[in-house]
Amino acid sequence: MAKPTTIRIPEDLLNEIDQFVQESKLDRSAYLREVLRKGFSLDKQDRLLLKYVRKELSQMEVCKELKWDPWKFLTQLKARNLYLNVELEDWLDASELPL
Amino acid sequence: MPQMVVDSSTLILLAKCSLLQIVCDLFDVIVPKAVNIEVASEDLVKNYPDAALISDLTSKGAIKVQSPDSSDRLTLPLSLHKGEEDALLMAVKLGRLLFATDDGKAIKAARFFKVPFIVTPKIVVELFRLQKISFKKARESLEKLGKIGRYSPEIIADALVSLMEEKNGKTNNHKDTGRPIK
Repeated sequence: MAKPTTIRIPEDLLNEIDQFVQESKLDRSAYLREVLRKGFSLDKQDRLLLKYVRKELSQMEVCKELKWDPWKFLTQLKARNLYLNVELEDWLDASELPL
Repeated sequence: MPQMVVDSSTLILLAKCSLLQIVCDLFDVIVPKAVNIEVASEDLVKNYPDAALISDLTSKGAIKVQSPDSSDRLTLPLSLHKGEEDALLMAVKLGRLLFATDDGKAIKAARFFKVPFIVTPKIVVELFRLQKISFKKARESLEKLGKIGRYSPEIIADALVSLMEEKNGKTNNHKDTGRPIK
């Protein structure tokens, strides 16, 4: 069940939202809920990927938090033009194959 | 046959470069159960050819799925996901085996426990050095690691230089970094 909450929104933004909702014949509350859901999802992804880049989270820790599989993780890195969190130093220090 | 513990990040990149089979032919590839679930669950096998390949190699016994003893736990200096943690734990407990990972945080933990680690671009260059793959295959694999595997252009460029130097028979790859002559 949806719970009420109160937030303060800048007047110009609220006016823009109201105008858009009216023109698009949308339900204002439903629209705001949807925007909040979408925005939260994207922001959460961005913040967790930033933590990954900083090595504060591992690849699979991010996958768990975002309910992604490792393939989606790679696709999302590409979509955001991000790279694996392996550094040049790691590549240079890597061992040889013991063959 | 030498052993290598592999986590999900490396399993996927090796599969993407079509090098997983070769690595399995040369090594006892050990994968913790948690890693196997992360990359080769029923749903993933249906959706990704790489997952299907990993699952196939596992069912043939080319990839050995093992679980660390429940009494074996490490006090990690940082958090890791179960698969990454189990892979590192197994590498430590099995006598500091080579740990293959492409995750910066897992590498950090490997350094802490003085576990030798390897990353996929290095595996590619090494396979060429050991004459297990052609130069063309190695170069294509490194390019794939940059495009699909999301390796940084800096690392891929350095790996390509190393590959060229191996091809030209040089032994000192990184004079400017002070890396010792192999």
